[in-house]
Amino acid sequence: MAYSLREALNKNYQRWIAKNSPPRDQITLNRKNIFIVPTRNGLLFIFSSGLVFIAAINYAVSLAFALAFLMVSIFILSILHSFNNLNQLTITSRSSQDVFCGEEACFRVQLSRSPKRRHESLELNFPNSLSSPPVNSTSCYTDLSDQDTEEVEVFTLSTKRGEFKAPRLRVLTRFPLGLCRAWSVVDLNLHCLVYPRPVQFSMNQFDSGSSGGSDSVINREGSEDFYGLRDYVPGDSLRQVAWKNVARGQGMQLKQFVDYVDNKIWLDWDMFYGFNVEERLSRLCFCVIQLSKSGNVFGMRIPGGEYPPATGLEHRKKLLRALARFGAE
Amino acid sequence: MELSYQIPRPALIWVLVAVVLVLLPQSVRMPVWISVVALCCVCWRLLIFNGRLNYPNRMVRVALVLFTLIISFTQIRNIGIGLDSAASLLALGFVFKLIEMRQKRDIYVVISLCFVMSMVTFLYSQSVVTTLYVMLVIAVTMGAMIALNRSSSVIDNMGTARLAIKIAAQALPLTIVLFIVFPRIAPLWAVPMQTGVNSTGVTDEMSPGDISELARSAELAFRVQFDDGVGLAHQQLYWRGLVLDNFDGSTWRRTRNSSAYSVAASLADFRISYNDRIRTVGEPVSYNIILEPTQQPWLFGLHLAEDVNDEFFSGRNFELFNNGRITQRLSYDLRSYMQNQTDVLLLGSSRNRNLELPDGGNERSQEFARELRASVTTDRQYANSVLTHFSQNQYFYTLNAPLLGENRIDEFLFDTMAGFCEHYASTFTYLMRAAGIPARVVIGYQGAEANPYENYLMIYQYNAHAWSEVWFEGEGWVRFDPTGAVSPTRIELGVQEALRDDPAFMEDDLFSAARFGGIGWLNAMRLRLDAIEYEWNQLVVNYDEDVQFELFERLFGEVTQQKVIMLMGSLALIVIIVVGFMVISIEPRIRRSPTDRFYLSVCKELAKVDIVRRQGEGPIAFRDRVCTERPELAEAMTELTQLYVKLNYAEKSVSEAEQKTQLLALKTVYSKLKAKLPALAGLRRVA
Repeated sequence: MAYSLREALNKNYQRWIAKNSPPRDQITLNRKNIFIVPTRNGLLFIFSSGLVFIAAINYAVSLAFALAFLMVSIFILSILHSFNNLNQLTITSRSSQDVFCGEEACFRVQLSRSPKRRHESLELNFPNSLSSPPVNSTSCYTDLSDQDTEEVEVFTLSTKRGEFKAPRLRVLTRFPLGLCRAWSVVDLNLHCLVYPRPVQFSMNQFDSGSSGGSDSVINREGSEDFYGLRDYVPGDSLRQVAWKNVARGQGMQLKQFVDYVDNKIWLDWDMFYGFNVEERLSRLCFCVIQLSKSGNVFGMRIPGGEYPPATGLEHRKKLLRALARFGAE
Repeated sequence: MELSYQIPRPALIWVLVAVVLVLLPQSVRMPVWISVVALCCVCWRLLIFNGRLNYPNRMVRVALVLFTLIISFTQIRNIGIGLDSAASLLALGFVFKLIEMRQKRDIYVVISLCFVMSMVTFLYSQSVVTTLYVMLVIAVTMGAMIALNRSSSVIDNMGTARLAIKIAAQALPLTIVLFIVFPRIAPLWAVPMQTGVNSTGVTDEMSPGDISELARSAELAFRVQFDDGVGLAHQQLYWRGLVLDNFDGSTWRRTRNSSAYSVAASLADFRISYNDRIRTVGEPVSYNIILEPTQQPWLFGLHLAEDVNDEFFSGRNFELFNNGRITQRLSYDLRSYMQNQTDVLLLGSSRNRNLELPDGGNERSQEFARELRASVTTDRQYANSVLTHFSQNQYFYTLNAPLLGENRIDEFLFDTMAGFCEHYASTFTYLMRAAGIPARVVIGYQGAEANPYENYLMIYQYNAHAWSEVWFEGEGWVRFDPTGAVSPTRIELGVQEALRDDPAFMEDDLFSAARFGGIGWLNAMRLRLDAIEYEWNQLVVNYDEDVQFELFERLFGEVTQQKVIMLMGSLALIVIIVVGFMVISIEPRIRRSPTDRFYLSVCKELAKVDIVRRQGEGPIAFRDRVCTERPELAEAMTELTQLYVKLNYAEKSVSEAEQKTQLLALKTVYSKLKAKLPALAGLRRVA
């Protein structure tokens, strides 16, 4: 019950935030987008000022009254100072780098201040909900006291292949007294591309194929590249049985493999027959990484695009991006 | 992440300093072992930080809780549930929390307790010094909070301190407004203020040596301010405290009625006949007294004092009593009829009480009294002749009275002949009673020191005094001061003059400024400080619901609840808005280097002759523009800009001395430039 209530609140909050802070590349914080609430420590502080006040009443001690009022004043001042610590802070989005799925996506933002202000103990992260500490995101702490601008990297876990739009960035501070928490949630339009998660497998057939002249099959009894299926004959190695097909009720069939010898390697969508789309993409992704690491010249054919053989980092990036965007159109 | 939280080192140091500072004033009152435990805990915490010791494990924690329980139990048994035991328990829990402090939340518990402990400090003392000290403690505590919230990479204790003081200073105006306008509430329930502090000042017993003991102390007893236009001579300032009418041969005491019934009966009797027992002549003298805490219930005032606000009890012998011991500074208003007669008719029981003498002993004195009484005709003549006996024989007024044996009165009167006021008052009263005249001893203070800065009187413990009251037929009680017969200086000029050469005088306060009354500037400073203390007390410490009500009534006429709330709300709001505006909109000033400041002043000079540097125009662009617009300035401007750019943008490794010489060079170039400016200005005027 309580949980669902919190969920509902959170949903409302997200909707409200979305309405009030449209995505922009640069945002300057001001009283319209800074929120302040007392922290738990702040509530404790107010509670103890109440204790002092009650003691002052009962013992009729004038200066204890003054002390209680001083505590309340300090609390009010702490609200103002926390606000001031975020006020007029400018946050600009910077380019971000692509990542592999499952890695932490790194977003670069630039913080800048007017030369007359100081901002200390800023915490940046991508929150999941209203109040809970971020689960998938690592907070980044920084100061803006000496230099006018500072570039920081904020990380969050990438969970899905494809175009990844970062959640709203939260800038938070408890400075100076820790009695209040001032924060702002900004949508900086932070994007990055998430490549498929590479899945490791052994790919010996690529290593042997540096000599030879044509795109032909030379070794029918190869062991690496899938060629086709034939019916199972007793005595065949159980390791080559296409268990997936067995599970689908298609009877025992044997996978036949061949070794290709090719100086221009082609990665093909059909090389990973029997896997689903994401699994194929993951394997292709692994191939691209490995092949570009060993400096091979290779091309790729996937539904919707053919990339002629080439080499180099640009090529690698092009292929990876194609894999990341697969099926997005 | 929570588990591995490490308190930043500067923050820990700030917290520990705050804890030590906050416990320091308590350590005077608490048992010594608590201070030792506190010190151990602070050291333990430091060692935990250094990694030499571990946090207390479960066993140790349970042991500490048990220990505290046992201690609180014994404390309650020994002292009772009072402020002292509560304060020391609070301190104990406070220091135990220190070693258990792992996370930020724990530190905030300690910080909140620092504020609560500061409040406890105020329960014991509200002087200016205490207030300043507590403000220091609060500033350090705030420093701890700031250090806790800074990035761990920043180690800037000066900056932390500056920020703490800044926030405290900004909080002060709001505090003052709240202090003045926030409605004060009368205590919700009565709390007994039991403290283990020893009582000070005159007591309800007087043995030889008691008052001379007080004369060794230069502590303040109370302050008095008379209403305007009242001038009383020093010899009129008898601050009457208690009447002692029971003598057992060595000690004078107050007679206490043992049964509650007789107290109630005498009280009723007293109520009915109060107006019959006194006769007054003339207008009363009004004054205000601020009594330092005595831990005793009785009050002091000029005879015959009447309590203006009707908040005290009157004793049988026109003494004044507070409801409960005086544990804090007490301010009260009195009205005294200086010309008065009391108990013109002395009833049987009172008469007998004031004639009673211990059986046997002091035969020589009794003989002396009988003979002297026989030689004169009236009681008054007898009393005067006893005074004459004191003044005409070799009696001494001294703090170092010889020890007296069994027959004290005899030994003093005929053998030692040296003593302090209690010896004279005691002997005089004895001689009166021996001659069949009702007499009693009164103790209190005599004399005062005027503070010229605030026009009030200061009465110190060394002003403690004892004198006699003698009852004459048709006159009632009459004050007699036998000390005055021995040492007229004591009564007319004060005890300081009378005991100028007595080494024992004020020996408890060797370094007290009062001892150095002879040194002009020191004495002036002492009086000035006391005047500040007095004003502080009048303005701040005494500000309670009554004063507040009076103030509001004076300012706004009839005060209603709504008016007060509206006033409070609006004033607080105004201050919050003003302070908030200051915090938010006034941006901190940039600190410019001397070179920058100089360059800007040059630009200002140039602006006067219409060469205005544009917004955002760099120095080189500005130079180029000046060179094209005003070729006559080109040479000087180029040189100046070159020097400036070199100074300002060159690498920082240039030594300070070198920078200074370069700045000097810049200035000489500028003087060259300046020489040409008036001509330009003139040119413009002509144009």
